Amino acid sequence: MTMLSHALFVLLLPLGSAAVIALFLRRAGAIASILSVVTATAIAAIAVILALHPERFEASMEWLRLGDFSVRLGVKYDDLAALMLCIVGVVGLCVHVFSLGYMHEDGAKARYFGGLSIFMFSMIGLTLADNLFMMFIFWELVGYSSYALIGHWHERASASDAAKKAFITNRVGDFGFLLGIILCYWANGTVNLTELGAGHVSSRLIPLLLFCGAVGKSAQLPLQVWLPDAMEGPTPVSALIHAATMVAAGIYMLCRINVLMVPDALTVIMWVGTATAVYAAFCAITQRDIKKVLAYSTLSQLGYMVAAFGLGSLAIDHHGHRLVIAAGVGAAMFHLTTHAFFKALLFLGSGSVIHGCHHEQDIFKMGGLRTRMPVTFWTFTIGVAAIIGLPFLAGFFSKDAILYLAYANNKAVFVILALTAILTALYMTRLWRITFFGEPRSESAAHAHEGGPTLTLPLVVLALLAVVGGYRAHYPAGFEGVFSQVPEAEGTDHLVILLTSLFVLAVGAGTALAFYRPAATDALEEKAPALYRWLAAKLWFDEVYGYYIDKVQQRGAMLLNYLEQIFLAGVIIRGLAGLVGLVGLGARALHVGRLNVYVYWFLFGVVALWLFATGVF
Amino acid sequence: MTSLTFDPLLLAIMAPLAVALAIALGLPKRWSVRLAYAGFGVPALVALWAWWQYGAAPSDHGYAFLRTYSTGLDGLGIRLTLGLNGIALPLFVLAGLVGLAAGLYALQSAAEKLKIYLMLLLVMVGGLMGVFASVDVFFFYFFHELALIPSFLMVGLWGTRGATENSYAAMKMTIYLTLGAMLSLVGLIALYVQSGAAGAHSFNLITLREIIAARPLAETVQHHLFALLLFGFGILVSLWPLHTWAPLGYGAAPSSAAMLHAGVLKKFGLYGLVQIALPLLPAGIAHWGSLLGALAVFGNVLVVGFITMAQRDLKQVVGYSSVMHMGYAFLGVATASVLGLGGVVLLMVAHGLSVALLFLLTTSIHHRTHTFDLTAMGGLARTAPVLAAFFVAGTFASIGLPGFANFWGELTIFVALWKFSHLFTVLAVAGVVISAVYGLRAAARVFFGPPTEAFAIVAAEHPPTDLRWNERVPALILLAALLFIGFWPRSLSAPLNATLVQLSAPAAVAPAAK
Repeated sequence: MTMLSHALFVLLLPLGSAAVIALFLRRAGAIASILSVVTATAIAAIAVILALHPERFEASMEWLRLGDFSVRLGVKYDDLAALMLCIVGVVGLCVHVFSLGYMHEDGAKARYFGGLSIFMFSMIGLTLADNLFMMFIFWELVGYSSYALIGHWHERASASDAAKKAFITNRVGDFGFLLGIILCYWANGTVNLTELGAGHVSSRLIPLLLFCGAVGKSAQLPLQVWLPDAMEGPTPVSALIHAATMVAAGIYMLCRINVLMVPDALTVIMWVGTATAVYAAFCAITQRDIKKVLAYSTLSQLGYMVAAFGLGSLAIDHHGHRLVIAAGVGAAMFHLTTHAFFKALLFLGSGSVIHGCHHEQDIFKMGGLRTRMPVTFWTFTIGVAAIIGLPFLAGFFSKDAILYLAYANNKAVFVILALTAILTALYMTRLWRITFFGEPRSESAAHAHEGGPTLTLPLVVLALLAVVGGYRAHYPAGFEGVFSQVPEAEGTDHLVILLTSLFVLAVGAGTALAFYRPAATDALEEKAPALYRWLAAKLWFDEVYGYYIDKVQQRGAMLLNYLEQIFLAGVIIRGLAGLVGLVGLGARALHVGRLNVYVYWFLFGVVALWLFATGVF
Repeated sequence: MTSLTFDPLLLAIMAPLAVALAIALGLPKRWSVRLAYAGFGVPALVALWAWWQYGAAPSDHGYAFLRTYSTGLDGLGIRLTLGLNGIALPLFVLAGLVGLAAGLYALQSAAEKLKIYLMLLLVMVGGLMGVFASVDVFFFYFFHELALIPSFLMVGLWGTRGATENSYAAMKMTIYLTLGAMLSLVGLIALYVQSGAAGAHSFNLITLREIIAARPLAETVQHHLFALLLFGFGILVSLWPLHTWAPLGYGAAPSSAAMLHAGVLKKFGLYGLVQIALPLLPAGIAHWGSLLGALAVFGNVLVVGFITMAQRDLKQVVGYSSVMHMGYAFLGVATASVLGLGGVVLLMVAHGLSVALLFLLTTSIHHRTHTFDLTAMGGLARTAPVLAAFFVAGTFASIGLPGFANFWGELTIFVALWKFSHLFTVLAVAGVVISAVYGLRAAARVFFGPPTEAFAIVAAEHPPTDLRWNERVPALILLAALLFIGFWPRSLSAPLNATLVQLSAPAAVAPAAK
């Protein structure tokens, strides 16, 4: 098989799996889960084979043509796609295996695993897409998969609402994305990524409109509201879709269209990302639900990546001559990679905790899990260490790359991102301490137990990746195109960044260790209730949107409906009838009850229409 | 040119009409049902065969399968000419598939007076196949009327609302649609006379095109003729503000009639615009395009979109959403470009399939909830997961999710629209958010969350079952077609593009005479 057919196979395989499950395995959950896991295994294997193979290629075929307009179905397999495909494949496999244990008792297993397969198909399509229209198609499909999986437990109104909210919020972002694609098409005559790279019209509007899509998908301000609610979905789904891959698709898309960026657009993107990073970090501090902490943490880390992308390129000294690298792309993708490993690990770890505690999610009702769930505890600890940037773990390297880029390009952003890093260390240490230490604070925590190997094995694999994921030199050469763009501090800069990074870690984690003790209540809520309440209000985004939907949109809709009923159906239509009635009264004189008179009137009408038709009046 | 050899297009029209006639002549019920399967099945099979063979079939003036039959009215220029070009083919397929699905759904419905119900449906199907297979303008119109009249009767006799409401809906529909049809008829006859085709004694569209290409109509004449066709057809397609018959009529119509009317018959007006009015009257659309676009985007898309959000009745949601989506089709017409018109035809097919699917499922939901009131349902997915899956699929299709045919229609119209009006494009794309809001809200209210108290009582009395196989088969036919076109749009866009490019060429070389 050629490499191209490998790529097509890896795209179509999960589609086939989903189709078989939907058509034949609806009642056979066990077989469906095995089919889905086998598919995921094959995807991971092929993704790695493709990445190791030196060949990089592009190919496409016509999908639809009308006039001069055509949409092509194509594959652009470069180093960037190779990296993303490997992340999707490896994390996807871990999540599939974990799901075997986690969803074992679920009544609708077939629907769940079918949904995972549809997601893999959509995500792979998005990764491989060689043009913006195709990207948009798979972009919408990952949105659909996300909808279906968030709403998996549809009996709960909260899950159903969260699914709907996720899809609609994403559509708001996609409104801009689609307009951006249309503009890009008419401005450049093509939406092919490679052709755009070869030459395009410089525009501020197009990249910003395209960025709207990323704002929705990667849950940046002000469209971040759907992601915390999306935690209503099963936890493995949160790990795969709402932490490691789909929400990162926004960043991946930005890296894909990097060539279209102009400085002004990058500045906007940088500030949106920075604001999201610090906003979400503050939100995370007051959360009680283990998944919600991780959700806000994900928002914050996505903000980090978007900010990194927005920081743009960097001129570096390379063996004596200056060289400009796409440092934003490099740093964002590097952090995307390590984040995918440690955040998927943390989410699956939280899933293991939730599973062990019989679906208890409140961290203040946990405690003492360190001894009861040792594998989960140690792997989760590695995850926490990685995200807060403990030296030599994955997050340390990628976060430092971003901090260095900020330090070099924009000091204000650097300060805010360093503050965010302090907060990250704070809330993650809080989470870790309260969940795992002290005495169990509920029945379910007291009876907590480790799950089977399907639950622990993925944790161990991801923990390993979270340890080694930061050593770029050990990655296959196939990702060189991306990793060569990662900025690296040298000399005094290196020292500044290293010290900053150690400082923020010490301050954040130290504060958390000193302040939070494993207890049944939140220490901040007790000691500073006003601050706690203010933080917990999360700047009232949900309230404002809720007000708009209920009071503005819905009332506007009802008003229009009312007007339609009254004016159109009532006054105009019946009013016309009334008018006709009046005319009829006047015409009663003509109403002589003789057929020939009516025929004359009919002819008169036809002649009037006729004269109109021929343009006499 | 009468040919005695086998003609599948004629068969597709005559088979349902012949079965209807046989039922009318007093066929016993058992045989009526059996023959009805053939009456609904043959047109669908012929449609699929024509789709399969279209590329390979010899083309005559851009038409495949072209045949002409003498009617004895040759002196008036009326001959039965059948054939399919790239615009007609997709709609012919649509009519065949929706006809089959509506027929199968009717056969399992146990409607009262089933024989008459089937007979009227068969007449509708025969008429619809005829509309899209006719190359002759007279028969194009004739078949439309043949299909339209049964729909009035069905709303009046088998309506799903109270008797008064049914007859009000039926009457309103009749008045509006007859008015629309009258206007367009005058327009068509005027076109026939003005173009000089009357002298050539031919209602044949090919001849009309040749005559007009040789001697274009004066611009003012084009403006007036186009206005008659636009507003005549516009009423039939529920152009805002002439749309109020539609939600009312569909709300009252029995499921199979609503499927055929909203799914296929309503497309007659758009089809007339794309196939007849635009190629023959290019100056007309140039004159009226802005008004049409404004009505479509502000009225159909935005106003009706918001109104749809406020509906509490499931059938009204589907009815209003159908009016909204026709706004996109009108926007495509307004662009008068190959891309936009291609989008219109794709959207017509996609919308026809998806709205038929939704009307079908709405009735199936009603059988289980005994109400259309969205505030008295909830949680139906627990007991009817397959029904839920179909409905969610239908909803996502209608809100333009990629993978379903509707996406291609909307996408191509949006792209084309940018060249026509930036503002309209922005507003039209915003409509995509609106349709997601009401679509997902309706699906959630019917199927997800805990059941409402009202529904819990109903469910306790009549425990809801999942979708039965004889309901699933027609739904599957529609869903499969939506997915096939969604994944393989080229199957329709290739013939469509060839025809549209060919039709747009003469207008380019022969501008309207001043």
